[in-house]
Amino acid sequence: MAAHDSQHHEPHDTRVYWYVFFALFVLTGASFFTYSEYWPFHDTPAVGWAFMMAVSVTKATLVMLFFMHLKYEANWKYVLTIPATVMALFLIVALVPDVMWRYEPGPGGSAPSLERIRYAPRPEEAKLLHPPSPHGQQHAPAH
Amino acid sequence: MTLPDCRKSEPENPTRQKLDSRNILPLTNQTGNRLIMAQAQAHEHHIHLQYQPALPLPNGKLFLWLFLSTEIMFFAALIGVYVVLRFGTPVWPRPHDVHLSEPIGAFNTFVLICSSLCIVLALEGAKRDNAAAAKFWLALTFALGAVFLGVKAYEYQAKFSHGIYPMKPHSLIYERPDVYYASAVRNRMVEITTPLVQQRSQIEEQLKKLEPGSPQRAQLEAQLNQVMQQLAVCEEQVLSVVNDPNVTTEKLAQLSYRIMHPWTDAQGKQHPPLGEEYPILHGLPMVIPGGNLWASTYFTLTGFHAAHVLVGLIAFAFFLPRRLGKKYTVHLEALGLYWHFVDIVWIFLFPLLYLF
Repeated sequence: MAAHDSQHHEPHDTRVYWYVFFALFVLTGASFFTYSEYWPFHDTPAVGWAFMMAVSVTKATLVMLFFMHLKYEANWKYVLTIPATVMALFLIVALVPDVMWRYEPGPGGSAPSLERIRYAPRPEEAKLLHPPSPHGQQHAPAH
Repeated sequence: MTLPDCRKSEPENPTRQKLDSRNILPLTNQTGNRLIMAQAQAHEHHIHLQYQPALPLPNGKLFLWLFLSTEIMFFAALIGVYVVLRFGTPVWPRPHDVHLSEPIGAFNTFVLICSSLCIVLALEGAKRDNAAAAKFWLALTFALGAVFLGVKAYEYQAKFSHGIYPMKPHSLIYERPDVYYASAVRNRMVEITTPLVQQRSQIEEQLKKLEPGSPQRAQLEAQLNQVMQQLAVCEEQVLSVVNDPNVTTEKLAQLSYRIMHPWTDAQGKQHPPLGEEYPILHGLPMVIPGGNLWASTYFTLTGFHAAHVLVGLIAFAFFLPRRLGKKYTVHLEALGLYWHFVDIVWIFLFPLLYLF
């Protein structure tokens, strides 16, 4: 492991930080764009979710590489970040059967408990609470 | 009798000597070798051994990165649970049902990005030993962090004022327009109407005692009229719905819609939400399908994030009064790493909470 690599390639002027800042600003605008009425995929929210996650991952990567100087660090950065990230992902995957599928039928056709079903919100009732607006717009102003 | 000291009988062991040495120097290897050589020349009869740090970075920075790797797991767990709950729930509230404002969220994202830039510029200032610049940028970071918390407090207030709390008894959120909801509305109406009914009977008794045509009478009658009007509003707008034995889910859903949103009546006339049109009808329960889970996850995620912002502000306040020259480079770098991490968490929270 090259010990003094860490300091050698760091930027000497601060312009790179301003470039990164500008990129982050534009990317924030990009994810906010999904909220505007010009966003063409309001009918298929999954497109917006994928887009926003891609934008967020890009933003986080930019912050880590340049603001947190990970681009210029030695290989120890992988030791400290990758195991934590992998374990965090395992945790999420481990939650899926018990939490994400809690309203789904279990193995052998067993159903979720009546107690759970009784108090669960229902999509057909939610529709009653949201009469379709005349413009067919999904997002109404908040206040 | 004392036991013989075994160590004395042992032959001289170079490894042990290395471990026992009190002259271990935690020096970085760039300057370390030169220093060691100079010391060895000065005291040739001593052996000075150098302690090699395992990683080529200062202890403070190593500690902070270890801490951040635990923080990655902490927030990844919170965000992961949120995603898993959100996508495993049949209905999730739409942002405007729970008074979420996307522009405010985007503004706060922008504030945190600015503050990230500021703290990295503060570090650059300290590296160049420009303490004034470092202090300026750190002060700006502090101010932006405070703005973020202020906006967050305003957002929390907007939710609390609409009865959106993470738990009972303050929460007014119900999941379904069913009998439990109707009974919650009735209970609230009892709280509202009981003082009105008491007032009515008091005024009526006072009126009985007064002579017809006395000057006080007109005043009391006006008061009575007002109370009767309010009771009529309660009956007409709410009680006629929830006390109807044949009330349907649709009727209850309509009532909840009028409690929460501006609505249009059969004649096409626009009305504000019931609590705004008739102040007596404030604090009525609402139906927000998925709202309770939404509130729990929203307040948990943003609450833990805000706590991290607050800790960052306290750390900034601790370092701001000092002269932030080269000496404080490591401190500012550690502060910066923590602050960027808090920023990254918000970068994920903003779309997940406001735009999904």
